[in-house]
Amino acid sequence: MSIPMELYLPIAGNSVNIVAVFGLGGVVGLLSGIFGVGGGFLMTPLLIMMGIPPTIAAASDSNQIVGASTSGTLAHLKLGNVDVKMGVLLLVGGVLGGSVGVQVIKLLRAMGNADFLINITYVLMLGLVGGYMFIESLQAMRKAKAPAKQEPEKHVKSSAFGRMVGMLPWQMDFERSGVRMSPILPLLLGGLVGILSAIMGVGGGFIMVPVMVYLLRMPMHVVVGTSLFQILFTCVNVTVMQASTNHTVDFVLALILLVGSSLGAQIGAVAGKKLGGEQLKILLASLVLVMMFKILYELLARPDVLLAYIGGH
Amino acid sequence: MKRVISLRSFLLLSFLLLARPCAGLAANLDFGLAPQNITISTFYNGTSVTIDGAAPEGSQLVVRFSGLPEKIAMKQKGKAFGLLWMNMNTLHFDGVPKVFLVESSVPLKDLGAVGPTLGLEGLTDKVGIEPATADRAMLLPELVKLKKSEGLYREQTGAVTLGETANGLQKFSARLAIPSRLSPGDYTVEVIAVKDGIIVAQSSQPLQAKMVGIPALMADLAFNHAVWYGVLASIIAIVAGLGIGLVFQSKGAH
Repeated sequence: MSIPMELYLPIAGNSVNIVAVFGLGGVVGLLSGIFGVGGGFLMTPLLIMMGIPPTIAAASDSNQIVGASTSGTLAHLKLGNVDVKMGVLLLVGGVLGGSVGVQVIKLLRAMGNADFLINITYVLMLGLVGGYMFIESLQAMRKAKAPAKQEPEKHVKSSAFGRMVGMLPWQMDFERSGVRMSPILPLLLGGLVGILSAIMGVGGGFIMVPVMVYLLRMPMHVVVGTSLFQILFTCVNVTVMQASTNHTVDFVLALILLVGSSLGAQIGAVAGKKLGGEQLKILLASLVLVMMFKILYELLARPDVLLAYIGGH
Repeated sequence: MKRVISLRSFLLLSFLLLARPCAGLAANLDFGLAPQNITISTFYNGTSVTIDGAAPEGSQLVVRFSGLPEKIAMKQKGKAFGLLWMNMNTLHFDGVPKVFLVESSVPLKDLGAVGPTLGLEGLTDKVGIEPATADRAMLLPELVKLKKSEGLYREQTGAVTLGETANGLQKFSARLAIPSRLSPGDYTVEVIAVKDGIIVAQSSQPLQAKMVGIPALMADLAFNHAVWYGVLASIIAIVAGLGIGLVFQSKGAH
């Protein structure tokens, strides 16, 4: 008798190949360990391709990210890459923003044409974030090759935003990140990302990472660790909510994925340490841009089937 | 195995006894199912159901496996502002079974006028769409295309074989491949005998698909103790993540 390779998923109502799901988890875990993103944007569409209904793919993926980000956070904690104080502030902002976002999306749905708005926001955000990061890190890498040329410009560039931020009350030090600012800033920015990710229906790691790099001025390695720390809590929340209200979490699926992705996240954390901050940024920017083009293509090309089950993207 | 056969013959017998008095179309068409019910266990990856029986001599056979007709809501994809494809208006389909598998001894189109009505064409003719102004000619083939791509709808030949004839009866057997994407619930197996373009006999039997073992346990937890299920899923994920993280780091340290 051969070893069974297919496993039936009780909530998804379909069977999947164990090795394929495990491998998928590994690859996405690797990316999340390197870049500090949840990887939902990659995982969910691939699961749908494997025959998992969209809502179940997205919810089970959140469950999986809980495991992967625990593993990743642990690895980054050991490397001294997690700014807990900053992470908690962003998290609180994110949860509040998320609740606002859910109401916004309800309002948009009631007004109709919500899907159009969601898609456009998605493409614009990805294009903006990816494009800016890509160009910025390319310039930074060039500057590094020809050093001491435009050193003073850096301070001038940040001054307008910096002065405004400096005026906020309760300035405090964030030792791990090596920055000093008011806690209001991470709270506000966390809230903003929370709103956006609730509207787009994604974890928001790919928006949170650039926000931490460019607006909070945190070093890239600390950004990755802190982002994973934050994602961990967000995804616990999503998992419990989805399981209790929509019954869309398939734990069997999540468990296979998370074993793969926890292993991947460990390798990713070590691999990320070997890469420079600018290299990390440019790689993440490329990933975000590729995703933007993929979504844009889906919007422009005629779909195979002109009907979709309600609940999917 | 022996139990299955005896159960089958018992059911066949009881079926015969029950069917006789009502005469009608079922009178000269009997069949047995193996297995009687589908169990979905941990390693379920689709299965097959064997149908053996006898039909009036000279007839061709159509075997159908179908789920209960349901109402489903779907989004129609369309072009927004003549440029971007996205989900547009909501449509409600009525009378759409989850699964609809049709196997026949010869292609349905060769069975005369009644043939196509027994297959996907006959099924979609009965499907209702709301709003009534919807474009049926465009939407129904799309619905079938979607269901076919999921392996839930099928119309083909090859699985039904005709055997020997005796006493005016034609023996037949069919092996129906059941998809892996099967939800638990009630299904029906129907056998229809067609001769000279008309239905000469037909009969049906219920078949239940149910989860057992780990899938059953999981589904019960997920639907009946949803909050605990979510909390438990998170805790196990955290513990697994921690465990793997610790194992990895102790290895890395050496």
